[in-house]
Amino acid sequence: MSDVLLELKGVGKSYPPTVQSSKRLRAFWQILTRGRSEEGTSVLRDIGFQVRRGQSLGIIGANGAGKSTLLKVITGVLAPTSGTITRTGSQAALLELGAGFDSEYTGLENLRMNAAFLGLSRKEVDDKLDDILAFADIGQFIHEPVKHYSSGMVVRLGFAVVASVTPDLLITDEVLAVGDESFQKKCIRWIEGYVEQGGTLLMVSHNMYQVQKLCAHAMWLEGGRARAMGDVFDVTQRYLAWHERRDAEDVASRQNRPSGSICTVESVTLPDEEEGELRLAMGASLRVRVTARSPDERAPVVLVGLIRADGTPVYGVASDHDQIELTPGPDGRVELEIRFPELNLLPGGYAARAHTLDPEGLRIHDTREVAFTVTGRSRELGMVRLDHRWNVL
Amino acid sequence: MSSQNVALFIDLTARELRTRVLSVGAGWFWLFATPILLLLVYNFVFGVIFQARAPDLDVPFVAWLAVALWPWLAFSDGVLKGSEAIKKNAELIAKVAVPRALLTISTQTASFLLQLVGYLVVLLALAVLGVELTLVGIPYVLLVLATLYLLSLGLALLASAVQVFVRDLEQLLPTLMMFWFFLTPILYAPELLPEDMRVWLHLNPMAWWMEEIRSALFHGKMLPDLNFLPLLAGALLMVWVGKRIFDRLSPHFEDFL
Repeated sequence: MSDVLLELKGVGKSYPPTVQSSKRLRAFWQILTRGRSEEGTSVLRDIGFQVRRGQSLGIIGANGAGKSTLLKVITGVLAPTSGTITRTGSQAALLELGAGFDSEYTGLENLRMNAAFLGLSRKEVDDKLDDILAFADIGQFIHEPVKHYSSGMVVRLGFAVVASVTPDLLITDEVLAVGDESFQKKCIRWIEGYVEQGGTLLMVSHNMYQVQKLCAHAMWLEGGRARAMGDVFDVTQRYLAWHERRDAEDVASRQNRPSGSICTVESVTLPDEEEGELRLAMGASLRVRVTARSPDERAPVVLVGLIRADGTPVYGVASDHDQIELTPGPDGRVELEIRFPELNLLPGGYAARAHTLDPEGLRIHDTREVAFTVTGRSRELGMVRLDHRWNVL
Repeated sequence: MSSQNVALFIDLTARELRTRVLSVGAGWFWLFATPILLLLVYNFVFGVIFQARAPDLDVPFVAWLAVALWPWLAFSDGVLKGSEAIKKNAELIAKVAVPRALLTISTQTASFLLQLVGYLVVLLALAVLGVELTLVGIPYVLLVLATLYLLSLGLALLASAVQVFVRDLEQLLPTLMMFWFFLTPILYAPELLPEDMRVWLHLNPMAWWMEEIRSALFHGKMLPDLNFLPLLAGALLMVWVGKRIFDRLSPHFEDFL
């Protein structure tokens, strides 16, 4: 399927001067007579791309790069100053969960209103009401005014409404970073399911892991322009590399450690590897060497996992699970090796994957992997040989 | 309007009505009591203190006044409340791509309808008190009120859009509406004015509307005639102008809110 859901051509946006009332009046007059205002601060320039069905796009970039403005322009909340936007198919936006809620009304009334904004008819809402309420899971609070809600409840209700719509194109702005752990998981599961069922996502996120997981393509915005666009891994890696370089420049200029907040995986290698991919006999020992880099004197948490070639996780362990103390060297580097003395993986293609997490072990910052093959002759089934004894009774 | 927008319009209007009526403890009660109380006050001021007389008619002055006052209230409330709709919903506009005109239209419609309920209460009260209203004129009154609604709608669209850019309008508009109110023969009969000023009164379009409503309810005017044409044309023109300017300005609302 290749139908285009969204197409932007040469889209630019500048915010008109709005503080001085004389300038406001002039802009007003210009819009009225010419349909546009002349002056302004430019925040987006010459953005053009297509989103095809099933090809989710992630938008990444530093703070202030124009990501949120771009989303507002795409959803129609803001009018572009130049260029054209063509939308086909249904579209739902989650610029902010619970946006458009009126705190005086009950959750149920807001739910209905929000659903109407998203284009659901009254009957459709009635049909889906049970699902929405089950998803939001806020119980009897649904009959209370929203002003009595905790922020988590607002978010849950907001997401539940959108989850009931299943649009052709779902636009989200960093909304997955809210709510408690279990609700976040629920949202991510829903979005993954939505993407798997052919839904298309246009998301802004600072979480490269999520972008890589959910999107096929990525666009890197920088100063209101598209700096890079294309395959998600390509773009996110260039983006992260750019961050690293910028951090490194900071180091050089201040004779100090990097101030960026990203712990990176510099390399993950298998020391037993000679040339090409490592081939390992079943039951042999495997060593995985990870070099991580921390932006400050706090050490990251390093997580090493083994996955099957198809991505099925087999086993993963993080340095903080085993209370391994890591101390970054003067250049912020941490080097460590993990050894699996008897790797009882059944023959097949595998990869060792290393992640760095922030020092609190909450967010994944970076990911790298290296592939290896387990060889052997075995007709056992599954992924791993479990210790076992047969007893004939 | 697409069917989706019609549904949204109905939802928004219903919500607005519910807020206005139910936000007060005994909302339903006040919906009916306020017009009656107002009627009593006007009767006291104009009937008892000023001893005003309806021109060429054998009805209490307060009836003559009320028949025109409530349509004006509906019109004016529609314009004033509708003009604030965009600013009031600034947060929504910044986050959700909702058709903006619907916000103004639904607020204006709700305000207009609520005053019409008051009008109905007042007319019933007058009928109960034995004031002779020519009820055959009711269909024509509805027609005239429909054009008045459209006029109010057009002005509300215009004012709500301009108000985003020209903040002063918020202060100015109520005063302007008050001027207009007093320049229209609602609290007084045109016959009270000196002859040479009475001509000028006819330049005020609102006077045409009031005249038609009174002819229908006091003289039993049943069918629209040539006098109705300017009402219809004026109302449609206002809606057209209001919508055009609104559409022109609305893509830029979020920049200026």
